[in-house]
Amino acid sequence: MNKDLTQAALKFSPFHNRTSRACRTNSWYRWSGYTVVAEYSTTELEYTATRNGTSVMDLTPMYKYEIKGERAKEFINYFVTRDLSNMDNNTVAYVIWCNEEGKVVDDGTVFCLNQNEFKLCCAVKMQTWLKDSADGFDIEISDVTDDIAALSVQGPTSCSVLKNYGATDLELLKPFESKDFIIDGYNVLISRTGFTGDLGYELWTNPENAENMWDSLMESGKHLKIRPMGMHALEMVRIEAGFIQTSTDFVSTEHALRPVRMRSPYEIGMGWLVHLNKESYFIGKRALKEEKENGTTERILVGLDIEGDKPAHGAVIYNKKKEDVGIVTAALWSPTLKRNIAIASLMRPYGSKIKEDIFVEIYHPEELEYKKIWATCKIVKRQFYNPERRNLVPAELY
Amino acid sequence: MTKNYDVIIIGGGHNALVCANILAKKNKKVLICEARDTCGGLATNDLSNFTPDFCSKVKSEIDNIAINHSSVSSIALSETGHHLKLTGKEAEDRKTLEQLAPEDVERYFKLQKKLSLFSKTLGSFMHSSPPRLLHKNFSDYFKLFKLGLNVRLMGRNNFNEFARMIGLNIADELEDNFKNTLLQGLISHDAVTGSNLGPRSPGSLINLLFRMANHNNSLFGGIQQAKGGVDAVIKSLEDNVVKRGVEIKTSSFVKRCIIENDQVKGIELGNGALIHADTVISSADPKSTYFCLLGTEHLDTDFKRRIKHHRSKGRVSKLQLTLNKVPEFKNLEPTELSQRLVISPSIDYIEENFNYSKFENLSPEPILEFSIPSLEDNSLCQDGQHIMNIQIQYAPFNVKGGWENKKTECIDNVLTILEKYAPGIKSCIVGQDFISPNDIEKNFNVTGGHWHHGEIQIDQLFMLRPIPGAAQYKTPVNGLYMCGAGTHPGGGMTGIPGKNAAHEVLKNI
Repeated sequence: MNKDLTQAALKFSPFHNRTSRACRTNSWYRWSGYTVVAEYSTTELEYTATRNGTSVMDLTPMYKYEIKGERAKEFINYFVTRDLSNMDNNTVAYVIWCNEEGKVVDDGTVFCLNQNEFKLCCAVKMQTWLKDSADGFDIEISDVTDDIAALSVQGPTSCSVLKNYGATDLELLKPFESKDFIIDGYNVLISRTGFTGDLGYELWTNPENAENMWDSLMESGKHLKIRPMGMHALEMVRIEAGFIQTSTDFVSTEHALRPVRMRSPYEIGMGWLVHLNKESYFIGKRALKEEKENGTTERILVGLDIEGDKPAHGAVIYNKKKEDVGIVTAALWSPTLKRNIAIASLMRPYGSKIKEDIFVEIYHPEELEYKKIWATCKIVKRQFYNPERRNLVPAELY
Repeated sequence: MTKNYDVIIIGGGHNALVCANILAKKNKKVLICEARDTCGGLATNDLSNFTPDFCSKVKSEIDNIAINHSSVSSIALSETGHHLKLTGKEAEDRKTLEQLAPEDVERYFKLQKKLSLFSKTLGSFMHSSPPRLLHKNFSDYFKLFKLGLNVRLMGRNNFNEFARMIGLNIADELEDNFKNTLLQGLISHDAVTGSNLGPRSPGSLINLLFRMANHNNSLFGGIQQAKGGVDAVIKSLEDNVVKRGVEIKTSSFVKRCIIENDQVKGIELGNGALIHADTVISSADPKSTYFCLLGTEHLDTDFKRRIKHHRSKGRVSKLQLTLNKVPEFKNLEPTELSQRLVISPSIDYIEENFNYSKFENLSPEPILEFSIPSLEDNSLCQDGQHIMNIQIQYAPFNVKGGWENKKTECIDNVLTILEKYAPGIKSCIVGQDFISPNDIEKNFNVTGGHWHHGEIQIDQLFMLRPIPGAAQYKTPVNGLYMCGAGTHPGGGMTGIPGKNAAHEVLKNI
């Protein structure tokens, strides 16, 4: 059968001509209806670029929504659990939002472009949930996922790369701030945000500028250890940074088939984003208040520092009586930290009150046989990797 | 903010007045704000054909209403002149049926008995707040268990029969039992009246049980007319609450509720005036209450979805004719014209009408329920004249082409039908007043213009009324309650929602 490849089932990002040329493994990853590179050459090299130079990653498939109107700010503040009533123009906020039972729908970032115009970026398709939530607010919500080309530029030398690229005075941009630039005659919005836990930026522009932008960046980073990064390396750096991932560390209420699989913010370490003292109502506030007051939170998401060097993928966690008390949601032997780390969901009081005598059972594959490892572990802060340069202003230059 | 009240009730319908009466008896300072210039809401002579008396459980809690009610018979008109008149009195009805439908007599009384038992069982559940579904509370489970138990205690055969019938359509049940199409037509009419169901729609039977529960658990025995019409009942309710110190502000449209920190603090009137109270009860329909009075910024997304999907499109229009003399109907005594007359000769006739309404069209041969109450009660119109109240089933909300263009067509269809039964009636007409569901929405502030503020169907009854999660007269906002027809047990001139709501409020203040 003669199959026309241009009619592929998955969409190509505006960077596809460049990313496909750079991808030497032909290894692809399916992300929200797009196909993006999983691994360009080797995951380790791409990981190392993020930690020691600069990595560039195609972010275009991330769902992006534009929220406009006189009540846009009021709506955003109602939509998310965090208090955004004082959000300034050109700032970005990490947020989560819940359903009426106070279970997490998704997490994401809100960009305040001006007081009547916001952008929401997230992992799960949100059009229906946004529209139904906005019922009665008289605001405009549009899916602009395909209308914005986005790149993530992350790593210690990223600020220098971007300065070479043309982003004047970028080192003065504070974390969670954004700024408009005109570079080579086109508009680019640069925000100091990212998913790597390091110094880093995200670039947002019109798709027609995508290839120009890619080329200029690679040219600007030529001597600053720049390298495109695929999805596999991203998974490594985000675990080190302790960032949670929808569908991996928790299941969105939009996807959960079993109601008991839905998680409240307090169960996935996002309690700090729930502002119950926010003056106005937000979706799920009543349920979350009740949960907080009655102490009915069932689980907790923690960081684990595990003995040995065998990553504990999907491992079951036990107490000293060998009772099952939780599961590892993400695990990694961290090359930078030289530690065996994991993110785990535990049944309270394990992880909250009881932090001693926790064990993981690791099944480590060794040439067609599993080696069963019974490893002790320590409960630690989920933010395993947090270098000082991440938040320095002015940012470090090379 | 002006002076303080314990409770503000939004809307002055009969449920609001009943609720106010009970609260005032407990020495609560109550204010009623009504948007129109009179109280009563949908309970007005302009809309209501008949006015059943309140049941004893409501009457015993409110001040005495000295209004005489008289029983009304139901007459299914036949083009051949063999009209079927049923009164609800067994001896009389047996005689009538033996003449007109001899094969159906025994089965009629058997069915009446069965339906009566079921409506009583459901009715026993009407007088308290329904259990909450989305909370894990013991007393809620107990209530649910009790309803189940009541149903089970009817005996195994009846229990099985109840389970079979609860989702059944009325047409199947009637066609299984009766030969006489006129009898089938009349009972089907009562099963679908006011609803958006046809006789062959699943669930049309529970609609009939609901109606019977509000009419003495009888098919035709509980239909009544009040002296002076429903207006007189409202007037009496109003006088009683005023005597109790309740303040009533008419022509006072409430724009919104004031909410602070998830607690209601009062209301804002259309003219901008603020009135303070920590308890506000809305007798408005669920959609108006949540979307207009409360504001969606206080509600969760899932909750808004449920309210939005609440089915509340009205299907009944009202035509009031002023006549200069009593029209002559074939084979009917003039005195019988003050009874309930129904033109709905067969199930197929209704189903065909329903098809038009499903696609938002008008039927050329509509279903009518009418009466000339002024024959009995001359206080209702000027000397020498008569009024004829006609209710047109399946005249849909948002009719295709718009009511402003379709009104004349609808009236013409009604008069053409009436001419068949009462030749010459057109020449007696000196005035006419037509109210479509869209007029009800506009003039009475009822979203969709539905009589019952929402369909009476199995997914919108009991603990699901108006929606799961807000079925106990409470709203998610502290201090804001509901007491209208949109709440359990539903519409009709019963006062039960108002009474139950008052008790729910008194538990908390």
